[in-house]
Amino acid sequence: MQLTAEQTALLETVRSFAQREIKPIVHTYEAEDRYPSEIVEKMQELGLFGLNIAPEYGGAGVDTVTYALVFEELSAVWMSLAGILGTHGIMAYVLQRFGTEEQKRRLLPRMASGELRGGLGLTEPDAGSDVQNLKTTAVRQGDRYVLNGQKMFITNSRYGSGLLVLARTNPLADKPSHGMSAFIVEHDEQTPGYIVRRPIHKLGYKGVETCELSFEDLQVPQENLVGGEEGHGFAQVMSGLEVGRINVAARAVGVARAAFEEAVRYAQQRQTFGQPIAQHQAIQLLLADMYTQLSAARHLYIDAAEKKDRGQRADLEAGMAKLFASEMCGKVTLDAMRIHGGYGYTTDFNVERYYRDAPLMIIGEGTNEIQRTVIARQLLQRYRV
Amino acid sequence: MRIVVCIKQVIDPEVPPSEFRIDPQKKEAVQGRANLVISTFDECALEVALQVKDKVPETTVTALTFGPKSAEEALRKALAMRADEAVRVDTDRTGRMDPAGVAQVLASTIQKIGGADVVLFGREGADFDSAQVGQMTAEALEMPLITLATEMEAVDKGIRARRHGDDGWSVVEAPTPVALTITNAPVNVPRIPKVKDVMQAHRKPITTMTLDELGIDPAILSEAAPVEMEELFIPEVNNQVTIIEGETPEEKAEKLAQAILALKVL
Ligand SMILES: Cc1cc2nc3c(=O)[nH]c(=O)nc-3n(C[C@H](O)[C@H](O)[C@H](O)COP(=O)(O)OP(=O)(O)OC[C@H]3O[C@@H](n4cnc5c(N)ncnc54)[C@H](O)[C@@H]3O)c2cc1C
Repeated sequence: MQLTAEQTALLETVRSFAQREIKPIVHTYEAEDRYPSEIVEKMQELGLFGLNIAPEYGGAGVDTVTYALVFEELSAVWMSLAGILGTHGIMAYVLQRFGTEEQKRRLLPRMASGELRGGLGLTEPDAGSDVQNLKTTAVRQGDRYVLNGQKMFITNSRYGSGLLVLARTNPLADKPSHGMSAFIVEHDEQTPGYIVRRPIHKLGYKGVETCELSFEDLQVPQENLVGGEEGHGFAQVMSGLEVGRINVAARAVGVARAAFEEAVRYAQQRQTFGQPIAQHQAIQLLLADMYTQLSAARHLYIDAAEKKDRGQRADLEAGMAKLFASEMCGKVTLDAMRIHGGYGYTTDFNVERYYRDAPLMIIGEGTNEIQRTVIARQLLQRYRV
Repeated sequence: MRIVVCIKQVIDPEVPPSEFRIDPQKKEAVQGRANLVISTFDECALEVALQVKDKVPETTVTALTFGPKSAEEALRKALAMRADEAVRVDTDRTGRMDPAGVAQVLASTIQKIGGADVVLFGREGADFDSAQVGQMTAEALEMPLITLATEMEAVDKGIRARRHGDDGWSVVEAPTPVALTITNAPVNVPRIPKVKDVMQAHRKPITTMTLDELGIDPAILSEAAPVEMEELFIPEVNNQVTIIEGETPEEKAEKLAQAILALKVL
């Protein structure tokens, strides 16, 4: 794809930011699993939280393609930062697309500045892939809703200040998905009923917090029911996940690219049997496959994003991009580790981090098994005999 | 206060030496895979101007470049950093242009756009490093010149600048109009533009002028220039290693001294 001058300039900006502000500290933050507050502040100044929010609401209003390219760029330096932006961006997307005008005016400018940093609260202890089975309830009481339930694996739920929560408003709906509604929950440490049970310790994806939450009579003003009408939450959130999957694919390409670039450099420096390992055919085969697959994955996510930008349905493409890119990332990061030999297994090099970050993309935003079922369902419809 | 910052687009000087190529026929560097960027010190000059604007919002900052169409991207970067206006004088030349000719072009343009209170330059281009354009333009505009400045602030009827001297710092003041060449320092590390400004910069107008409109004969840039470039080449570097043998340190030192003398490099 030929980038436009605007895209080139924007990516250049993100790249300089990543090189200057993130690269020097990533190792420390990763090792200490520390939330990068200073960087988040700088991301705010740069305007990254408003990337996909329209200029009339204070954002930069970039399209889906450009947005995904930025995710690739950030993830090539530290994937966790793409996580801080990721579900925030989904929440902004859902609000922008389905929110009432009043909600957009009230919330989007604060999201664009990064003052209100969001997340996405779907998963529960007993409802991950099977999100339709979620138990959290929202009951209308006067001018507010009262939420009760538990959420699991919620990224940005402690250091952020907003969450798009999917809850059940009508247990008797004809289909479970029609009984769900999405709410914007604003919270801070003092919010009664918003309880962070514990941060979850993870293999990778360090720095950014993923927590277990419970809601105990959490009060949400009625104005924060997305779109102002009950029963549409499931569809709204699913539409947001489509963008999320494209961005997860872009993250996977970013991580794999970083792993590849470090491997191809290392292969020319490390000598065995009297020559650089890059001269051994076994290593060349790895390099060729790594780059081929990572390029293919990039094409897939750009294709999905372009479809989305043209206003076409893109769930099949987004699913394929997410599936292929994340599996590719798992493989490429392992191959990058192989090429680094024993050094790749140490924390002196970045590849072990890439390797630990890769599986999240396989599991998050819909596991790859679920992606396959979504893809297959579409294909069976398309090719019905 | 009106500040004009003269910026030049160059091939990224950070390109790895192994990738740097030149075209000996055209006598110019080949872009290859390298990016085109604002010349390093010119970007610092922009930062110095924008810091004045941060403190005194009435300040206007105009970025001015003399270069081909591609140089618009350098101006867009300047606009994204929040320069107010951008002006490009068009040329289709991409190789070296004579500094005296360039100075004449810049001086005429600055006069044509209504003059300036302060004109800023990078201390030298990040390509040929001739360090002449600032001085010559100041001369053509009959402005006093402060060289190697790192910071500047607006004061009553003029500016105060901190400059890097041979044996330390000096703080100087000058009435406007005045010209300065800027050198890099931690205080003028160029800001990273905000993403919104990057997007908006691509929708802002760029004023374009031609040498014709300025009444300048393009020949002064090369054919009729006082300096002609005869040849452009990458110097060949030969690394040779000689190991000095010897029983004692004294003996080795003696042999080393002899070897150095024999090379006639001292
Ligand atoms: C680090 C991290 C961050 C996360 N952040 C968030 C967040 O911010 N917000 C949020 O809401 N969620 C978040 N999640 C949750 C994530 O989306 C879920 O973990 C994911 O959807 C899988 O759900 P589960 O863990 O309950 O697995 P399960 O649904 O229990 O799946 C277990 C296994 O069964 C397979 N499986 C399940 N159903 C089927 C089927 N029908 N056919 C075939 N195979 C099936 C799955 O593919 C998987 O292999 C996060 C997860 C992690 C690990």
